[in-house]
Amino acid sequence: MVLVLVVGDMHIPYRASGLSPKFKKLLVPGKIQHILCTGNLSTRESYDYLKTLASDVHVVRGDFDDNANYPEQKVVTVGQFRIGMCHGHQICPWGDIESLALLQRQLDVDILLFGHTQKFEAYEHENRFYINPGSITGAYSPTNTNVTPSFVLMDIQAGTVVTYVYQLHGNDVKVERIEYHKS
Amino acid sequence: MEGNGIVNNDDQERLLDEALQQVKMESFQMKRDLDKSKLMDGLKHASDMIKELRTSVLTPKNYYELYMAIGDELRHLQNYLTEELKKDQLKTDLYELVQYAGNIIPRLYLLVTMGVVYIHVKSKSYKVILKDLVEMCRGVQHPLRGLFLRNYLLQCTKNVLPDIDPEADESERESLKIDVQDSIDFILQNFAEMNKLWVRMQHLGHSRNREKRENERQELRILVGTNLVRLSQLEGVDMANYKVTVLPRILEQVVNCKDAIAQEYLMECIIQVFPDEFHLQTLGCFLQACADLHPNVNVKNTIIALVDRLALFVSRDNSSGIPTDIKLFDIFSEEVARIISVRPSMKLEDIVSMQSAVINLAFKCYPERIDYVDKVLGATVDVFSKRNVDAVSSGSALCKEMSNLLQMPIDVYNNILTILKLQYYGPLYEHLDYNARKRIAVNIVTNGLDNDTIIDTPDQVDALLLLVSALVQDQADQPSEVDEESFCEEQGLIGRLVHLLFSENPDEHFFILKKAISHFEKGGNKRMLVTLPAVVFASYKLATRYKDQQESDDKWERKCKKLFETCRSIINTLCQAEQADLPFRLFLQGALTVSELGFSNHEAIAYEFISQAFSIYEEDISDSRAQFAAVFLFISTVERCHCFSEENHAPLRTQCAHAASRLLKKPDQCRAVAHVSHLFWSSKTQETGGEEMRDGKRVAECLKKAVKTANQCMEAATQLQLFVEILNKYLYFVEHQCEAITYEIIGQLIAKIRTELPEISDANEHDMIKMHFDNTLKHIEERKESLAAQGNTEDLMFTLSLD
Repeated sequence: MVLVLVVGDMHIPYRASGLSPKFKKLLVPGKIQHILCTGNLSTRESYDYLKTLASDVHVVRGDFDDNANYPEQKVVTVGQFRIGMCHGHQICPWGDIESLALLQRQLDVDILLFGHTQKFEAYEHENRFYINPGSITGAYSPTNTNVTPSFVLMDIQAGTVVTYVYQLHGNDVKVERIEYHKS
Repeated sequence: MEGNGIVNNDDQERLLDEALQQVKMESFQMKRDLDKSKLMDGLKHASDMIKELRTSVLTPKNYYELYMAIGDELRHLQNYLTEELKKDQLKTDLYELVQYAGNIIPRLYLLVTMGVVYIHVKSKSYKVILKDLVEMCRGVQHPLRGLFLRNYLLQCTKNVLPDIDPEADESERESLKIDVQDSIDFILQNFAEMNKLWVRMQHLGHSRNREKRENERQELRILVGTNLVRLSQLEGVDMANYKVTVLPRILEQVVNCKDAIAQEYLMECIIQVFPDEFHLQTLGCFLQACADLHPNVNVKNTIIALVDRLALFVSRDNSSGIPTDIKLFDIFSEEVARIISVRPSMKLEDIVSMQSAVINLAFKCYPERIDYVDKVLGATVDVFSKRNVDAVSSGSALCKEMSNLLQMPIDVYNNILTILKLQYYGPLYEHLDYNARKRIAVNIVTNGLDNDTIIDTPDQVDALLLLVSALVQDQADQPSEVDEESFCEEQGLIGRLVHLLFSENPDEHFFILKKAISHFEKGGNKRMLVTLPAVVFASYKLATRYKDQQESDDKWERKCKKLFETCRSIINTLCQAEQADLPFRLFLQGALTVSELGFSNHEAIAYEFISQAFSIYEEDISDSRAQFAAVFLFISTVERCHCFSEENHAPLRTQCAHAASRLLKKPDQCRAVAHVSHLFWSSKTQETGGEEMRDGKRVAECLKKAVKTANQCMEAATQLQLFVEILNKYLYFVEHQCEAITYEIIGQLIAKIRTELPEISDANEHDMIKMHFDNTLKHIEERKESLAAQGNTEDLMFTLSLD
């Protein structure tokens, strides 16, 4: 069992004051093996925080990250899965399924992680899996009026990924579960 | 026998051993004689044994050991005599008899022993005997010997002092009250005499041995304190006579002895030994005595000990709390002020330490009374101004105490809004130097963030930013060296704080943001990098709220305009601070926000924002990598802004296309131009009425141009990679039914890639491109299969041969 935390669009401090204490309580150091961040941290402090949760942290560049050296895209292999990461502001139209598929083909990945729209999504398309963890802080987005704070935890075992999405509705954390099998 | 007894350690051991040997020998003889009922002989040996206590050469510790050994033996004697007296076997009046002993020390020890026996057996005479004993002990004026003798007196009389039986009923209690008064008088007198002896030790001998003497005095302090313990153990010492008799007489002795060591110890002793209920009723008396103590006494320790004890008393679960008629805080507040005023040499850090204790009392006993806390702070500010205190430097003891004092409200209230209510918090805080102020400011902001404290009025925002101005603006006393990492962290805190400035009322929120801006604008370029963007986004968010309540507010559109005008001004300030990337992005985000909101004349504002972004791009973004990223963002943003009319959208499309084709590097150009194709396809304008533009012809042109640009790349692998990417773009559009793109073109591209692929020399690059290409072909196959499954075999995709 390998746990992978997928987070993004924190936007601290430009758009958000911090993570909800409800989320912070769930994110316990030492339980997660890898952290994949879709970008827009935006500063060093957020990166350092992620490092306290797990030592293996990967970040791709978002349009508001202060560190211009993060890569535009990245591929990480966890178990049997090739996982691609891209913030998504480089894709046009933003969040478009087929445009994202273009990137999937280019990176040759089983799972593609993306962000920017700050809306949680997890779906299968042409036998591949796409995940947008949303914004973990529920930060402001001009194109999404109702941002619900969310993040994703992937449990990778052999050829199966069980995806848990944690969403904060008001004061309650709701969890949903989605499975994806590598074909 | 006034020798100074300064003998070294080895000698001490030897002397003590010799003395103990003597004691052993004499006591053995004593016991043997008593066994044979030879009383007089026994007493003679007892007397000789006690003579060892006449020594001047033992240290207090060793004297104590000797004293304990002898005490054990005297108990044996005491038991024997008690038995004999009970049996009425004693012929002579032994009480008289022992007074003929040769030396005063054995005489008095025997007298005490005997006296207690008599009281024990014939209790009616206790009053006379007790009085006699406590007076007779005056005969020994040597401090060390006298203290131990009187201690012996106190220990011996432990069980014979009259006291009220806790089980006694009312009538019995009344009659015993008078008797108890005798006990109280006895102990108080013993205490007074012991204290005098103890104090006298201070002045015996040469001044160079003062420290040694003071250490020895400390070793003996428990002897004096035992009197107070004994008093507290008397049932008969109730609230009434504690208040009227006991405490006043103790305090009289303490104050009048004018000895710092005695005073400091005894005041603490009183606090620890008597119950808190008593203290509550006698505060005024006790605290006044504190003011009269010797200047060398560190009164702060006494006050703190008392306050802490009372605070603990209140917070205990089963405590009855403070009686309502006792204005605990007022008493402390007044008395502490008086103490400070009569002790002008009291160190500032001690004063502050004392005030911390009083504030702690306020927190524990009167948690809702913020005015009490403020009062203490005010008193402290007062002291500072009277003493003309300047900046307090970090690292000093005073700074430590002040930081501690100022930190307490932060930690206790966990609500920085309450801190803002404390009138004297700011003035006191201002006395600290830059580093200390900054530290506290960081703590305040962090506390607010940790507790998600919402600041919801402009005045509070103003007060808060003023309080933490060490973080917000350059200070007159700040050092020229700045630690970059700390600076970034601190500004991050302020940026995050911006999102806690919030009012339910949007208009009020607008004023809040304006207040914040007025502070941040004075913060300098480096700070503005973090603070202003946060304000800009807070403003964008506010605009959305204006729209939400458009039903109830007919001025919402005007307010939005004003808001964006403010944002434009702020973003321009960033431009003047020599920033490019950040304002560029902020303008684009603003354009998106405006586009979505749709208030009247929003198109003009969106257009203005995008134009400004473009100006920044042209003038200030020169790094090729930054330009590439900027162009992409530009294109995607314009694609997403659906508010424009064709009249305005067209020039924007053109600008995008030009910017794309003017990028320096060919691969960048190629990709950007390919990206522009989306602008002609999925953009929406006012004229398209919510539908995509779908200008297939222009899309095809873009992609054709991209191919042409790719052909101009010198690097074979790069060129091929670009071809595969463009191929995918072609497929994207045909799948979206773009009729201007023919499968012929696609077929040609596929063939070209096929041909050139084997030419790639580098194995890694070859594999990557092949993988991409194979995925693309597979995608085409899968698409054909799904079309066939739907029964659609007419689709032109089938004309694509992949062989």
